[in-house]
Amino acid sequence: MIIGVDLGRHETVTVAVHGDVLTEVQVTAGTLPVVTYPDGMRRAPSMTPRGAAVAVDLDGVRRAPVAVIRVSNPCPPGLGPLVGWPEDSGVGTVVRGGHSLTGRPITELDTDAVARFAAECGLTDFAVTATGSPILPHHELAVAEIIADEVPGARITLSYEFGRAGLRERENSAILNAALGPHAARIADRMARDLPGVSVFFARSGAGLVSAHYFRRYPLICYLGAFTCALRGGAALAGRGETAVQERGAVVRTGLVTGGMPRIGDRRDTLVPLNVRLPLVVSASEGVAVGPYARQAGPGWQVPERAELAVAYGAALARPTVDVERIVQAKGRAELDRALDATRDEALTRAVSAGAAPGSARVTGTIVNPLSYLPDGLFRVEVKAEGAIL
Amino acid sequence: MSPTVEGTHPKIDSMSLDAFAAGSQLFATGAAELSFHLTLDWARSVLGDGVRVSRAADLPPQTICAAICLVGSSTALSERLPGGNEPVRVIRGLERRLGQKIGAVVALNLDAESALLPVITAALLGVPLVDGDGSGRVFPLIKQSSYTLGGVSATPLVMAGPADDVVVLDTAPDRVEELIRPLVLALGGWTVTACYPMTAEVLARVLVPGTVSRLMEAGVPGAPRSVAAPYGVRTLCRGRIVAVESSTGHGMDLTLPSLPSSIVVEEREGLGRLIRLEAHNEIVFALADGAMVAMAPDQICMISTVDGMVVDVDKVAPGLEVEVMVVRAAPVWHTEEGIALGGPRAFGVPL
Repeated sequence: MIIGVDLGRHETVTVAVHGDVLTEVQVTAGTLPVVTYPDGMRRAPSMTPRGAAVAVDLDGVRRAPVAVIRVSNPCPPGLGPLVGWPEDSGVGTVVRGGHSLTGRPITELDTDAVARFAAECGLTDFAVTATGSPILPHHELAVAEIIADEVPGARITLSYEFGRAGLRERENSAILNAALGPHAARIADRMARDLPGVSVFFARSGAGLVSAHYFRRYPLICYLGAFTCALRGGAALAGRGETAVQERGAVVRTGLVTGGMPRIGDRRDTLVPLNVRLPLVVSASEGVAVGPYARQAGPGWQVPERAELAVAYGAALARPTVDVERIVQAKGRAELDRALDATRDEALTRAVSAGAAPGSARVTGTIVNPLSYLPDGLFRVEVKAEGAIL
Repeated sequence: MSPTVEGTHPKIDSMSLDAFAAGSQLFATGAAELSFHLTLDWARSVLGDGVRVSRAADLPPQTICAAICLVGSSTALSERLPGGNEPVRVIRGLERRLGQKIGAVVALNLDAESALLPVITAALLGVPLVDGDGSGRVFPLIKQSSYTLGGVSATPLVMAGPADDVVVLDTAPDRVEELIRPLVLALGGWTVTACYPMTAEVLARVLVPGTVSRLMEAGVPGAPRSVAAPYGVRTLCRGRIVAVESSTGHGMDLTLPSLPSSIVVEEREGLGRLIRLEAHNEIVFALADGAMVAMAPDQICMISTVDGMVVDVDKVAPGLEVEVMVVRAAPVWHTEEGIALGGPRAFGVPL
């Protein structure tokens, strides 16, 4: 049995999914959930839940101010850190360092500048982005060590964890991740209190779950977890694999489901450009409507019987999933194969750290693309891995 | 006194930049979202009062013009940001070599970043941008231009990247590609490149005319995509990408900048054909159930059905829904010389 939790903007909806059976459950903080069975009886479940999958959107939550360190050459002011962010988002600096696409240091890391900024910025949530970190993250790791020395208790996001090329978008992702950290920690604390003895997972944007521990470190991965689950859960409740799904709750938005899973992509309507893929928002005239106000969706929209449970149900259907993207340099097939193996190993390790039972983690997809307009041997590698909850 | 009457020709300013930028993306292949937005933000920050767009024939005939383009990887550009002075360094480098001032810049092609870099260069130098380009579409090699077809040499050619280097190539035009590819990586993965120095009088004869102002029209919201294709456009199929295969090149010694790959699209409607797209930086030709249906020098591109954006060859993934479109190249490309320079053979495919 898996518990699905929809931490909605107004109220929390909890369901239990056992095999194909979906039931709404009551949760009293600090006790095991009580399940209302189809016979109308309410009792503690006959078995301990294998885990609880929590769906929450983080696009409207309070953000902490962030100290932003970019490791790169100087650039025009219009391309600097925190451009496009609201005034009170934090403070930023650019320090010398970074690596080229071939993994060579561009210049030495300016460690003094890092230490000075860390000591003087007065903030404890840090986002660190170095040129070339998808190829080699050494300078980001070195900066993290300096920050840890200068600022006890600092929470540090390194951009290579969001390893796609594109410095500004990766930096924005690191900043947003750092800004969401304190709020994510509060949510994770609350779930640990409410569901003692149950392994808690959080729904990712797009597909899959990560462990609560992973969520605390990388909340951005779960940025639109609830919207994702609304799409997947809504399509599943309606028994449709290909459909538009409209979520009508605190906000109204529509996404697409193909092959049972939400359609994701790079979205341009976020606060600042990010490098995480999110469920695409579309306009559609028909499909499945879910959420507490599903019945207001109008003609063309099928309302499932238990439309208000869609998000929690979608969460309970998901499994631990991670993806890793790297740029690798490889001369010839043998070197490329070795680099692919290394990336797959990293994805499997991450899948386990995201909560997959160790024996269950497996690679579900590998994409290799040569980088255009460069000499042979530079590839963009993307690996997806997933596993089962214990 | 300028022979151009104020108002008869457009200006790229903070109002019209977005339309021009959007127009430059409509059929842009090999361009990348991230580096495009970076270049656009860069252009916004330097545009000031705007850049005057001038017909080549309206410039004083002896004005020295230089073609500007991005050479290298857009992924590299988005990862290793510009210092900001690359366009100035590259123009000063060319002026030193020529012993003459550059009085106007022109695009080599109008493909996303390569359309915006000449705007940035013109803004930083305070010179006009010529209305036209050397392609009418985009080709991967510097020599593949209407300027070459018109008898103009790409050299001397000057490159400047995000490291503080300036490289001047004084060589025969057919040596350019072999020299620049290894240099690009050493220069930081991408460069602003100035090439094809020529007088405005010559430029007026060899460029594909009017393409800058046309993209400014095509990029206005609501304008049909076909406005950006002055010589015609057709849809090959709508379907889903079912396979992406990349090759290690089989040890072939090609001068092209990256390895070949194949993309298979399953047609969603009609006959449900399998369309195979053979890419070598750009899509070189398309087969429908084994029969040739389109090839270079016409431009073949995949447009995402979700957001209407061109799908990058190095970003394709199985599952994407695309419309495959074929943009007819300018007439100069359909001459014997044009096909030799921009046809399949130029991409290493002996058809």
